[in-house]
Amino acid sequence: MAGSQSSLREANRARVADAVKRHGGLTQVELAGATGLSAATVSAIVKDLVAAEIAEVRSTVRSGRRAQLVTLAHRVGLVAGVVVGYRHLRVALADVSHEVLAEQILPLPADHRSDTSLDRVALLVVDLVERVGADLGELLGIGVGLPAPVNPATGMVGLRGVLRGWDSVQIAQVLEKRLARPVFVDNDANLGALAESTLGAGRELRDLLYVNVSQGVGAGLVVNGRVHRGADGTAGEIGHVQVDPAGRICACGSRGCLETVVGGPALLEPLYASYGHLTLRDVVRLTKDDDPGCREIVADAGATVGGVVAALATGLGPQRVVVGGDLAETGEVFLAPLREALRRRTVLSRPGGPDVVPAALGLRAELQGAIALALESTDLFERPDSTDDEGAGR
Amino acid sequence: MTPPTDGTRRRSPLLALREVSKNFGAVEALVGIDLEVYSHEVVALVGDNGAGKSTLAKVVAGVLTPDAGQVEIEGRPVTIHSPSAANALGVASVFQDLAVCENLDVTANVFLGQEIRGRAGMLRDGQMEVDTRRLLEHLTVRIPSVRTPLRSLSAGQRQAVAIARTLIGEPRIVVLDEPTAALSVAQTAEVLTHIERLREMGLGVILISHNLNDVRAVSDRIEVMRHGRNNGSFPASASHESILAAITGAA
Repeated sequence: MAGSQSSLREANRARVADAVKRHGGLTQVELAGATGLSAATVSAIVKDLVAAEIAEVRSTVRSGRRAQLVTLAHRVGLVAGVVVGYRHLRVALADVSHEVLAEQILPLPADHRSDTSLDRVALLVVDLVERVGADLGELLGIGVGLPAPVNPATGMVGLRGVLRGWDSVQIAQVLEKRLARPVFVDNDANLGALAESTLGAGRELRDLLYVNVSQGVGAGLVVNGRVHRGADGTAGEIGHVQVDPAGRICACGSRGCLETVVGGPALLEPLYASYGHLTLRDVVRLTKDDDPGCREIVADAGATVGGVVAALATGLGPQRVVVGGDLAETGEVFLAPLREALRRRTVLSRPGGPDVVPAALGLRAELQGAIALALESTDLFERPDSTDDEGAGR
Repeated sequence: MTPPTDGTRRRSPLLALREVSKNFGAVEALVGIDLEVYSHEVVALVGDNGAGKSTLAKVVAGVLTPDAGQVEIEGRPVTIHSPSAANALGVASVFQDLAVCENLDVTANVFLGQEIRGRAGMLRDGQMEVDTRRLLEHLTVRIPSVRTPLRSLSAGQRQAVAIARTLIGEPRIVVLDEPTAALSVAQTAEVLTHIERLREMGLGVILISHNLNDVRAVSDRIEVMRHGRNNGSFPASASHESILAAITGAA
């Protein structure tokens, strides 16, 4: 291997830090195995990392022996971010600088039950906390995102029927009872908007529109630098704007909602005859592989969503429209028709009108938002402004 | 590992069982079972204890030979005499007991019985370690070191090693018998994620499980078995209740 002694050392340091990050926490022996470095080198690097306050070492027990567990530093405390999706549950543990220390994704069945899923949320949070060698007491708060509007007054789903089986569930209370830590609940698109406006594609902007198109469709509004939730938390529920007056009846009870046209099941249905059973991720993958049928479906969805976003953008006057969720992963196939729909409105196409960009945080926007919500809602400690800037600069 | 590039369009099934029957004396374990598995597809087999799920898995894996009926692989009728014949036909299986060696490390387990040898018949440890590491990364398995003995891994990590082992022969079909039994939620999450990866790699997966939650989370299709017979085929979006009804015979 070419390179000087110091650059080799630098590379080894990065290797150790990466391994710790990927696994949450590793003992020094495991680190040697994971990186292929000698025990002595690992030990020296760990000492370096601890001195630089990048890593922490604490005693633990592995296979009945005492061992030194190495984790990334999280002295001030930890927060958990949870995003409950229609088909996936994402849980992450982060430090106060929004740095994710451990993460786990659990595939969920369609129409999953609130009791089972919240139970699994609690167990996964505990598991992740253990994985980084911490205890629940170090958890400052838990941010939870749901694919439905959340009424800030009640903390419950604010629109009956859209998330089957979750109406009248006191989500925060259920989790607080299990974990004895403060829990904050919000709509997932609001969390995406929060993350993109503080850490992502809308960092320097005051007014922003975030749109998430995955299994469901939602939008988060950032007005004057703050997420706007509306009086009962239903602001930005574009999934339930009517786009087809003769369309199907939606889970919310109205006819022809955007979600009945571009929601996951609606997108997959016309593909079934020639493709068999696909998931939304299959459609994204096939679209990236230039499959004509899937491109057609995704592009049409972009145009339809664009029409609704154009109306909302005309009302809000955002500086930027940030698009996240699974369909945004297809890039311009989805974004170009969406942008085109906005350009057709004179008000939006004027110079200085909003541009349409993909979410900088990608599929992790909501999860980062849940972490940001927990951090924002917790005032147990003085958060120095420098930490904020550091997080924002990433 | 080279994932097949042929997309998900409907073609002939990777694996088809036609009217397969198997008796153990007076016990009718399988009665005229039909099953099709396509590439890029996870097919779940659910049913009560003794419904014939594991017998069916053993027929596909070559452990048992059916008394009647036809097994087809990629449209060709085949007879699977033994597990190694199944391997040669591109069928790999992980059974409930995993059959891993506690005292051997991850690499040795992955390559057990299919070790890479050099010209003089010497084991090529380095190559096997590199391959193992790549395989685990491909499955997004988080095991710190491929030199860890299996006894110091968690149940979920052992399951991951067992799944990784099936991928050595570049199979087209993977049979998983109760892969999430007795796992914690976090370990279940990992195994279900591996199953999603297998599907993305273009494999056909037969998933046998009691846990309807896990089954409905990752399957494309759910085949219910009852008393050795087909008792309904459901899309993954079918409700918990309708599948339960078919399992218990209420419908």
